[in-house]
Amino acid sequence: MQIIINGLISGSAIALLAVAFQMVYLPTRVFFLGLAGLYSLTPYLLMASRQAGLPDTIGIPATTAAVVVMALLCEWLNHARLARKGASEGVHLISSLGIYILTVQIIAMVWGNNTHSLRTETNSMLRLGQVILTKPQLFIVAATLILLPLLWITLRQSSIGVRLRALADNPSRLGLLGYNLGNYRLLAFGFAGVFAAASSLLSANDLGFDPYSGLDAVLIAVVAVIIGGRFSFFGPAVGGLLLGVIRAQVVWQYSARWQEAVTFAVLAIFLLFRPEGLRGSKTRLEAAA
Amino acid sequence: MNYLVHLLIYFDIYVIVALSLNLVVGYCGMLTLAHAAYFTIGGYSYALASLKLGLTFFPAVCVAVAIATALSLAVSLPSWRLKGDFFVLASLAVQALLLSTLNNWADVDAPLGTLRNLTNGPLGIPGIPKPNILGMQLTQPASFLLLATVLATFSALILRRLKSSPWGRVLVSMREDELAVRSLGKNVKVLKIQAFAVSSGLVGIAGALYAARVGYLDPSSASLGESILMLSMVLVGGAGNFRGPLVGAFVLVALPELLRFAHLPDALAANLRLAIYGLALVLIMHLRPQGISGEYRIN
Repeated sequence: MQIIINGLISGSAIALLAVAFQMVYLPTRVFFLGLAGLYSLTPYLLMASRQAGLPDTIGIPATTAAVVVMALLCEWLNHARLARKGASEGVHLISSLGIYILTVQIIAMVWGNNTHSLRTETNSMLRLGQVILTKPQLFIVAATLILLPLLWITLRQSSIGVRLRALADNPSRLGLLGYNLGNYRLLAFGFAGVFAAASSLLSANDLGFDPYSGLDAVLIAVVAVIIGGRFSFFGPAVGGLLLGVIRAQVVWQYSARWQEAVTFAVLAIFLLFRPEGLRGSKTRLEAAA
Repeated sequence: MNYLVHLLIYFDIYVIVALSLNLVVGYCGMLTLAHAAYFTIGGYSYALASLKLGLTFFPAVCVAVAIATALSLAVSLPSWRLKGDFFVLASLAVQALLLSTLNNWADVDAPLGTLRNLTNGPLGIPGIPKPNILGMQLTQPASFLLLATVLATFSALILRRLKSSPWGRVLVSMREDELAVRSLGKNVKVLKIQAFAVSSGLVGIAGALYAARVGYLDPSSASLGESILMLSMVLVGGAGNFRGPLVGAFVLVALPELLRFAHLPDALAANLRLAIYGLALVLIMHLRPQGISGEYRIN
């Protein structure tokens, strides 16, 4: 039971990041690897705010706001311009990869390559029957239970959410109706910034962080997107939870060394046998790609 | 003088890497992130063949090429019909699986090269012998440079010949319009598998050269970062022709040397070099998507 709960909790952090990735991918079809750079940067910004003497009640919102601004800059300065030129998905992916490399190397030059932790105190634990939860794990559960339902309500109930879904579905039609697609693209990147910052801070608080942790985290999130279904906003959340449980089982049954191999083996299996994911509808792969 | 020879050896190795990757990226139009894994498998195969089987240089390189070529099927066979992001992800999955295998096929209680300890895990393989050709041990940098130049020229000639052959022209047609090539009766699956096999086999030569030069190899050579660096080399230099990868390899070798003049600490210089690469990727996608000297615009 403890293993499954641990898996669900680590899967929640994956789910948040997978939703962040999907918030950009679905409406814009941009494979936003720059998100890995933002994910890496987030805990360093909070660490800097602490060093500047700011309490976390100010530091965390300020860090999140800074990450959102950087996500918007990625869209405004890079992807929007490429989109106006009619650039292909590959061009977006490579430029996004460039943003990731640039961001990570700047982090390494400023803060060094060492591993850090956001935790300032030893873990207090909560015992629920046979299950033990640490304080960072409780933060992850609480944040997931707040952020995912909020996003669901925003996407389902608000007009902004409806237009974001319309952008994902048929951007040309939305443009013909007179809506400014650029603004909605920016909004998608903003949402991604919020979710990436949340996921990054929660993981950094639980496990620590270094400049290179972002790419691994985003790639695992992408696997969750493929598992959950890449044409659904919430499929990746399901995929993240499932992947968290699978990874926890691998650690329990074999060794943490095999986590990555099993994660990418699951990706390969889904790409080959169910590329539409758990929540997707069947389509020919050539048509989808 | 030794310093210049050392640079030229690395240039030769990167020329093979860039030209072989260009066959898949530039001529087939498929972005792969698994190239570093095949490079490292070439190196490991060479190391084990020379250390455990006692093979001399060329037979050991043949083993490296054969194994890298055979393992190329891991990418090309299941993912030949994938495109765009899907294909990148499939290659990434294979890269992660191969890296994980290199890291984990180890047992400290078993001798290196046995079925229980094939790769020695994260400790890597030390003491890889220098090339031995016809009884001569190439210990001098100048003689190694000659060997590296011969192999780079050999690889370049093969790829040039392939590019101008009917097979190479069909590859380019397939990149531009796969459906049209299929409608002409060409077997796209076989073409992609062949291109991957040639590319992986050639990068296996580069891996063997690298292992023989450095004398030590560990799984970090197969990391995603290395694959990204190799891909950057082709994209910055330019894909889809013969000049572009040569320019990319030259930039990759020249940039760290130029940074030496800035007298930066080594760690900072390494980060700055990669940051320049990242910035170059972004700028090139905006200003010149075909790269400095390439022909093919990524799609």
